[in-house]
Amino acid sequence: MINTDKNSITYTQFVLIITGIQISVAVLSLPRKLAEAAGSDGWLALPLGFILNLVCSYIIVAVMRSCSGRTLIDTVSAMMGKWIGKAFALALAFYFLNLMYDGLVRAILIVKIWLMPNTQAYVLMLLLLFPAYKIALGGPRIIGRYAELVTVISCWLPFVYLFTLKYAHWLNLLPFFKEGFLPVLYAVKSTIYPTLGLAAVFILYPYLKNKEKAAPALFISNMITTTVYLFITIICFIYYSPHESKFYNDPIISILKTIEFRFIERIEIPFISFYLFVFSLVWIPSMYIVSYCMSLVFELDSHRTPLRVLCIVLIVGTFFYMPTFNQSDKIQHFLTWFGFSMEYVLPSILLIAITIYNRYRPRNAL
Amino acid sequence: MKQQSHPFASLIVIMGCLILSACGDQLSLENASTPLALGIDLDQDEKFHFYATAPVYSKNIKKKSQEITGEAESLRQSKALQDSQTAGSVQGRNYQVLLIGRHLLQYNDWFPMLDVIFRDARNTITDRIIVVDGSVKELLYLNPPDQPLLPIILRGMVDTKTTKSETYSTTAQELHRQFMDKGVTPYVAEVKVVNKQIQLKGSALLNERGKYMMSLNAQETILLNILQKQADPGFSLSYLIPDKPQTGPFATNMLSFTGGKVKTSIKTAYANQKFKFDIHIKTTVGLSEHIFPIDITKDSPKLQKQISSLMQEQIEGIIEKLKKHKIDPIGLGVYARAYQYEHFKQVEDEWGEAISRSEINVKVDLTIGAMGPVK
Repeated sequence: MINTDKNSITYTQFVLIITGIQISVAVLSLPRKLAEAAGSDGWLALPLGFILNLVCSYIIVAVMRSCSGRTLIDTVSAMMGKWIGKAFALALAFYFLNLMYDGLVRAILIVKIWLMPNTQAYVLMLLLLFPAYKIALGGPRIIGRYAELVTVISCWLPFVYLFTLKYAHWLNLLPFFKEGFLPVLYAVKSTIYPTLGLAAVFILYPYLKNKEKAAPALFISNMITTTVYLFITIICFIYYSPHESKFYNDPIISILKTIEFRFIERIEIPFISFYLFVFSLVWIPSMYIVSYCMSLVFELDSHRTPLRVLCIVLIVGTFFYMPTFNQSDKIQHFLTWFGFSMEYVLPSILLIAITIYNRYRPRNAL
Repeated sequence: MKQQSHPFASLIVIMGCLILSACGDQLSLENASTPLALGIDLDQDEKFHFYATAPVYSKNIKKKSQEITGEAESLRQSKALQDSQTAGSVQGRNYQVLLIGRHLLQYNDWFPMLDVIFRDARNTITDRIIVVDGSVKELLYLNPPDQPLLPIILRGMVDTKTTKSETYSTTAQELHRQFMDKGVTPYVAEVKVVNKQIQLKGSALLNERGKYMMSLNAQETILLNILQKQADPGFSLSYLIPDKPQTGPFATNMLSFTGGKVKTSIKTAYANQKFKFDIHIKTTVGLSEHIFPIDITKDSPKLQKQISSLMQEQIEGIIEKLKKHKIDPIGLGVYARAYQYEHFKQVEDEWGEAISRSEINVKVDLTIGAMGPVK
């Protein structure tokens, strides 16, 4: 698809889509994973993860800049041939398929365990995919607007967590680096999975109106993600005792159960329903990217058909097979490494390849 | 063609949503029985029993609550037994209080029995944990005609007394934290049935495995709250001033005051193989009652010193008892972990032992801020 003005996205939309893909279902278990790796020092790994992501963002932007307006897949095709380009598109599609499937499966499992244990998974999948299909069909601009809408209607969510500060035990955080620096470094691994999503820049960059601002935009979206994660992790660590943080699968939801209002007894119910909006920001852009990449592979003129096939396969597939929590954990574990290679290793290789290519083929300069 | 498909597609969507809405999880209110209190206790033969009381919504029934009880292996295992005693299906989504009998607390490691409360995501975990000095059965079947439903009165009792620091409104979640935190031992509210009346005793202190160790009365609980930095302004303490005359049957040497904001600072140190805690309590109080005549404007320094030392003595007495029972409801272990991590780590699994060996110094600095509207 060619970049048209009709489908371009603004700076804010770009920031919010990237942040949306990053802050996904992973946020629910992040405090536990950090605690498992480094105890109450786990939150110290978040700033380190932030720096790592920042470096990776700049590499991706540098790669995209050297493509000068074309999509990355076109560039790779021009550089290394059509089939390698297609293989690259396929890899990207497979990666985002994983990300999307993981997001959907986790969201459904969470809804099932907390809200509706007796409802079939494929029913929930069907209900989630109706709106997702409509939005993903609209392309980047509609997704961008949806991201803005979700941000506006869900920006009050973190403030409710402040109610738990009444029971805060700040001393739980002390002392810093209690077991030394190594566990903290080890915990950085746990921050990879929750910050995945930067690869979406490969696809979305050409749609960005003001391309010079891509780097600051990524800085801001990484900043937002890290701030949200820091906030939520620290809230969990000062509320739960150090050994307890590892006990809850999804501490972010469990902690909500302890908030009491006079007018509502189980506050986690509206919250989880609301979280679905936030989580939808991982699978909707991913759905678009998957179907877009597939349309490139099969040389279709729009992403409509792949998107329809994707939705139908998902629903029918869920009817026959739905991962359990343990299997979903395995997907997440796999995604950590797959994501690491797709978002950290691959861009670096690409950057080197493109730089070398540009230097030795000046006539065909991109 | 694209234009035509739109109304059709929307129709499918609307149909789908209508058919799928509410899904498989609906439960009519008529079919639900929602107990507001859950109790667990042991009988004479050391058998585990559950108790529950659910409100009855009907004009024609005089008694406003229905009690469910039975012998069980565990709480969820007894679900069928619970259901069999009510018209609807028993839902654990609305527990206000969770009663635990003292008999059950004679044993260690009963806490995992409450697992279902945390594992079934639909259960509330803000139910207040209350220890019953006596049998849970007696309390549950009390049903005094002049009082609201038992769960309501207990919850109200615990919640309001907690604002006065006279007890603890320990939720199931908070109890879980206290059990999981190695630097603190659990503390919960305690009630007793006295002459067919429910009475709040104060607080019950458990050891790290949940066995009942000792009880504190209301005033002692306030002092423990002060040590825990949880005391809100408004608590009330009373002392007999030793050098004042007492005449007749009246406690004319009594003095009461209302606490203001309390500043408790706890310093942690480690020396000679033991922990050392220096606790310094500073507060400004307002006198609310002194039955003996005294000129506050002149004698307040002396009186301040007297009250301070009385308070200090009582706190030291409590700490002595805590050390004897090897428990740490104050949460000194949390301080030890934060400031003496290396040493704490070695003893965290037998923290009770370490606290009984530790040295705890208390100093109270009390200022009389107001003497009330009369001289």
